[in-house]
Amino acid sequence: MSLGDNTDTQTRDKPQVRLKGVKDGFRVTLDPTLPKDYIEEELTRLFNQLQHLALNSRVILDIGDAENHPGLIEELASFLKIKYNVGNVAAPQREHEMTGDKPQKLDMSSTWNKHHTDALIIAGRVRSGQKITAKKHLIILGDVNPGSEIIAGGDILIMGNLGGTALAGQPDNEEAIILAVGFKPIQIQIGGVIAAGLPTSSAHAIEFAHVENGGIVVEDYIKANPFGRLTWPVVR
Amino acid sequence: MAGGSLKRCSLEGKIIVITSGKGGVGKTTATASIGAALALEGKQVAVVDMDIGLRNLDVVMGLENRIVFNVVDAVKGKCKIKQAAIKDRRIENLYLIPASQSDNKDVLNPEAMVRFCKDLRKEFDFVLLDCPAGIERGFENSVAPADEAVVICTPEVSSVRDADRVIGLLYARSITPKLIVNRIVPEMVERGDMLSHEDVVEVLSIELLGLVEMDTQVVISTNTGIPLVLQKDSNAGQAFRRIAMRLNGQKSLPIEIPQTPKSFWKRVGRKIGIG
Repeated sequence: MSLGDNTDTQTRDKPQVRLKGVKDGFRVTLDPTLPKDYIEEELTRLFNQLQHLALNSRVILDIGDAENHPGLIEELASFLKIKYNVGNVAAPQREHEMTGDKPQKLDMSSTWNKHHTDALIIAGRVRSGQKITAKKHLIILGDVNPGSEIIAGGDILIMGNLGGTALAGQPDNEEAIILAVGFKPIQIQIGGVIAAGLPTSSAHAIEFAHVENGGIVVEDYIKANPFGRLTWPVVR
Repeated sequence: MAGGSLKRCSLEGKIIVITSGKGGVGKTTATASIGAALALEGKQVAVVDMDIGLRNLDVVMGLENRIVFNVVDAVKGKCKIKQAAIKDRRIENLYLIPASQSDNKDVLNPEAMVRFCKDLRKEFDFVLLDCPAGIERGFENSVAPADEAVVICTPEVSSVRDADRVIGLLYARSITPKLIVNRIVPEMVERGDMLSHEDVVEVLSIELLGLVEMDTQVVISTNTGIPLVLQKDSNAGQAFRRIAMRLNGQKSLPIEIPQTPKSFWKRVGRKIGIG
C-alpha cells in the first residue's frame, strides 16, 4: 500500500510483477523498467489465475515513479481492459492515501475515546410490576421477570432471561435491537413496531430481535452476527 | 373468653407477615398451621387476621363462635389485646386475633398497625399477620409493622407472577421475604404438567422456607377447624411443622421435596423399564 512495499519489491529477488487483492479490487505492483512484453506476459499469467474475478474489477497499477514512464499505465490499462474486461484501471493515489490514512485512524478511535456513555447499566432482578426507563441504551445484568417493563431509547441488552415486556428504540429508532441470553419476552417493541405473541423458542441460544422490512425478526445472535459486517468498531 | 394469663416475654417478639399477592393460594391455611406449629414448639403465638371485611382465619381455626372483639377494636383501643385474643383450646400458647367482618380495610392505617404491633411484641414471641390478597390498603396495613415476610406461592404461572410483584414491594420496604411453595402435586411435576419448585425459585430467587404438597386433609381440617399440624398422617401438616421449626431458628433443617409414594417393587420395575 505504501512506498515501503514498493521498495521491497525492487530490492528483494521476487517476481517483479505482483498482484494483490485489496478491499475493492486488485493492486498490481510492477517495475516500470522491465520490458513491456515481459510485463504483459506476467500480467497474462496473473490475470489468467483470477478467471471471472477479473471481470469489471477495479485495478490499481503501481509502477513506482510514473513520471519517468509516461503512457505506461494507459497502455497497460487498455491491455487489461481488452483482454480481461476489467472495470477501471488507475494509478495509486499516493498523496491522498498518505495524508488520508492517519487522520482517519485518529478520528475513528476518538469517537469512543471521547465518548461519554448514555447507557444505563443495572444489576439485579427486575420483578413483576417494576418499570425501568433508560434515555438511551439499557443493559441489565440479571433476569427480567414476566410482568415487568423495560424501556430504552436505544438498545436493550439483557445478560439473563428476558421474560417481561421490552421496548427498545423509543419512540422511533427502528435500528435498535433487543438482545437477551434467555429470550422469552411477553411482548417486544422496537421503535413503533410491536411484536406480541412471539413464538416461544426453546433454543438455548443468545437471541436478539431487530426490525427487518417493517416487522420484528428474532434470530440467533451468534449465527446472524449482525455487527460482524462493520469494518471498524463504531459507537452505537 | 380471651386468654386471661398471657405470659410476659423478656425478648421482643417477631412480627411476620404471610402474604402472596394472589388469592386462594393458602395464606390463611399456612398462617393457621404455622401458628399452631410454632405454639407446639412452645412459643407464645398470636395469629392476626388482617383480612378486614372477609374474615376466614377464625373459621379455619375453629374459633368462629368465640369472637367478641376483633382486631379493629384492639387497634382502635376499644378493647385490650387480652380481650381480643382468643385462646385456642387444643393448642397451648396459641391465640387468634380475628378480623372484623363488618368494616372495610380503610378503617385501619399502617401507622396504627405499627403502634398496635409494638404492643403485641411485648406479649408474644411470634405474631403472624394473615395478609389479605391484593396489594392495596390491606397489604399496606399488614406489611407496615412486619419484621419478616413469608410469601406463599403455588406452582402456577399466575401465582408466581403475583408473588414476584409482592416480593418487589417487600424489598422496597427493606423486608427480605422467604418463600413457601404450596400445593405441589409431585405426580404432575414428574410428568412435567406442573412447574417444579426449582422453576418457581429460579424466577423468584428468594430463600426457600419450605415445600408443601397438595393434601386433601387441608380441606377436612379447614372445614372442621381441627389444626392440620395435629394430623400426623397429613404431609402438608408435617411440612408446616418443619417450616415453623425453620422460622424458629432451626435453619439447618433440610427442606424435604414432596415425592410420589413409591413402593420398593415399583421402583425396581421402573429401573428395569416396566411400569
